[in-house]
Amino acid sequence: MTTPHEGQPQAQSGATLRTADLPAATATGFVPGLSASEPVALTSSVGKLQGHDILFPPLPYDIHARAQAATHDTQLQQFVHNATYLKDQGRKRIFAASFGERYDAMRELGGRIKQHALDHLDYYLEEWIDRATEAGVQVHFARDGAEANAIASEIAQRQNAKLCVKSKSMVTEETGLLDALAKVGCETIETDLGEFILQLDHDAPSHIVTPMIHKDRTAVGRAFARELGVPYTDDATTLTQIARNHLRQKYRQADLGISGGNFLVAETGSVVICTNEGNGRLCTSVPRTHIAFVGIEKIIPKLEHLSVMLKLLARSSTAQPLTVYTHVMTGPRKATEPDGPTEMHVVLVDNGRSEVLRAETREMLRCIRCGACLNACPVYRKIGGHAYGAVYSGPIGAILTPMLRGLENYPDLPHASSLCGACYEACPVKIDIPKFLIKLKKFQHQRKLSSFTERAIMKLWAVSLHWKWSYELGGWAQRRMLRLQAKAGRDRAKPYSDRGYVKQAGGPLAGWTQERDMPTPPSQGFRQWWRQEQVRAAGRKTAVESGTASHQHTSPDGCDDHAHQGSQH
Amino acid sequence: MARIRTALERDGHAPPQAPREPVPVVDDAVARLMERGDDLLEAFVRNAGAVGFKVQRLAADGLLKAIGTLLSELQAKRVVIGVGTLPQALGLRDALRRRDIEVMDWKNPPAGEASTNRSPMDGQFDVDAGITDVHAALAETGSIICCSDAGHSRGLSLAPPVHIAIVRKSDILPDQIDFWRKRAGDIAKRDLPSSMAIITGPSKTADIEGILITGVHGPGAVHLMVIDDA
Repeated sequence: MTTPHEGQPQAQSGATLRTADLPAATATGFVPGLSASEPVALTSSVGKLQGHDILFPPLPYDIHARAQAATHDTQLQQFVHNATYLKDQGRKRIFAASFGERYDAMRELGGRIKQHALDHLDYYLEEWIDRATEAGVQVHFARDGAEANAIASEIAQRQNAKLCVKSKSMVTEETGLLDALAKVGCETIETDLGEFILQLDHDAPSHIVTPMIHKDRTAVGRAFARELGVPYTDDATTLTQIARNHLRQKYRQADLGISGGNFLVAETGSVVICTNEGNGRLCTSVPRTHIAFVGIEKIIPKLEHLSVMLKLLARSSTAQPLTVYTHVMTGPRKATEPDGPTEMHVVLVDNGRSEVLRAETREMLRCIRCGACLNACPVYRKIGGHAYGAVYSGPIGAILTPMLRGLENYPDLPHASSLCGACYEACPVKIDIPKFLIKLKKFQHQRKLSSFTERAIMKLWAVSLHWKWSYELGGWAQRRMLRLQAKAGRDRAKPYSDRGYVKQAGGPLAGWTQERDMPTPPSQGFRQWWRQEQVRAAGRKTAVESGTASHQHTSPDGCDDHAHQGSQH
Repeated sequence: MARIRTALERDGHAPPQAPREPVPVVDDAVARLMERGDDLLEAFVRNAGAVGFKVQRLAADGLLKAIGTLLSELQAKRVVIGVGTLPQALGLRDALRRRDIEVMDWKNPPAGEASTNRSPMDGQFDVDAGITDVHAALAETGSIICCSDAGHSRGLSLAPPVHIAIVRKSDILPDQIDFWRKRAGDIAKRDLPSSMAIITGPSKTADIEGILITGVHGPGAVHLMVIDDA
């Protein structure tokens, strides 16, 4: 679950962020130009796939179809762009307001706590298991998704559970738990408002924190009318009220409650979940049995460390000082306590994580699933979450998915980035995402997963960099080729103008220019221009020198740089 | 576990060793956002308002009247109460009865219901408000902390549509860091409640187009009665 932030108020109770700075945003829905009375279907173009399958496309996954569809879907882009922009601005503002210059030291500390726990994961996991068992938790260990689902299914069968309420959990998305429970006759209702809507509409989450970032309220209204039999409305408050009333009954009837976990505290055996709507607390408190699915990397050593991690998590994900409900659970209901589940199970899920734990990639597991890197990423803003074809999207998904599910299955993801570094700047635990993107490309090269042509071109390039003449020849050839292509497309681009664009390049650049235009390179290279500039500057200098010769001679140190430079020519 | 140990390059058979390097310390100079010396009451009231709590500041003897008035305004008919041994709340039940507000006994659900398969929290859904004291409050974020114990159910602050929490000045801690340090003794004794909830505002969502709505699953309104007991 990673971040069971159910609701994502974009600011502390509307005070700071809401809509203040973005003119395009209004408090009643932030897509200008989209009339509320005119329902528009927003599709992220995921083909015929529905629901959970959207996150599990056929492998190896080719990003191009979905990315291309997304770049042509201006509404999707506007939604995702506006929402992520607001969140990104909010995050920056609240960190500046609370930590100021300590921001970097704070995320350094957060990163150190997580890294320490990962470096000693065997020790802290054992400690957590011991403490949790003492507190009455039944701890299970699952090697992969199938094992995790089997454990949950067996518990459901033993309890003869028919209805299950679930709060947001990314790990259960990884394992596909809902389908597994359905097979043993247990219906599962998503209770996070966003997830509930997606479940009704046979869609899948596209953001770790804000799952239905790609959907608008008219789509919600239509789904409610169709699936719940209520009159159509696109008023967000009414829609929320309908969901509340519907789900309250479900909590009371449910036999089983499922949650994820944001943190596991080793010294106490506690599970911590952070939510905004309250469904997380209800799912873990009302039904008699609670099952938490938690990734093994969620460990932190001490409760005190929570104060650092929680301060970072809420600010990074939703620009709040803390999420509305931070629920620290230590064991099932105690004998003296009036309510709470009588049985509590925790399924520790590996599902590829122990591979990532190797020294070379361990840092990736620090991730606390705040979503800040998604919000900051220019690529995510363009293509949306479904284009990543996996449970985890955005920059962290681009490095984590190939590690968890095989680099050979997701060959495009390490390239779905601009290496601009915004994700690293945004990461509250200082995961150097750009470094890992490059590292994965290196793995691809080493394991010969990249295409022969690509490797040949790279090799050729590397060789050409060895000598000055070959470098200049290569540069000349590239400029020449692109300018010829710009000329060929003269209906759009002004041929041979320095402001023209290559609309459609040929050869290996063809794919690149499908979604972008390449500026036409100038007729001369930088080095050529520089040489000419030097000559010109020297000319000017000589003119100045001869005019002020007497002044130069009186210069006290007598080593004026410009004079020297000038004299060299 | 074997695969974890392989990834960590541990010797195959030795049991996990306690880390040699020191556990990272929560450095106050980095992580603390509220100092002890600050005016905690002022800061708490300000920050609690900012996260969406409805805050009333009261003298201790005005508490019962204020709660009664608020419940009348809300037209509440049934409430649940979990105020522990809070001296200021003595007489609360009588005061409510005088206003014809039924206090539901959530510890002993009506006979017949207990025998069914229903959750012990079930009855707490059908009331108009839950009234509690708090185990602590944080000036830093304006949060209140509600823990489960014999006198406090989880449902009190969660199931009813309105939560009324009584916060004493002496409950207020500067920073979240102070709360965990204060519980160090319980941690060592392994005596933690099964549920500790740090509550920061009313239940919220912005899942539909980023529009902020309160009262999704938890209480839509949380009233804090802040009393100066110093």
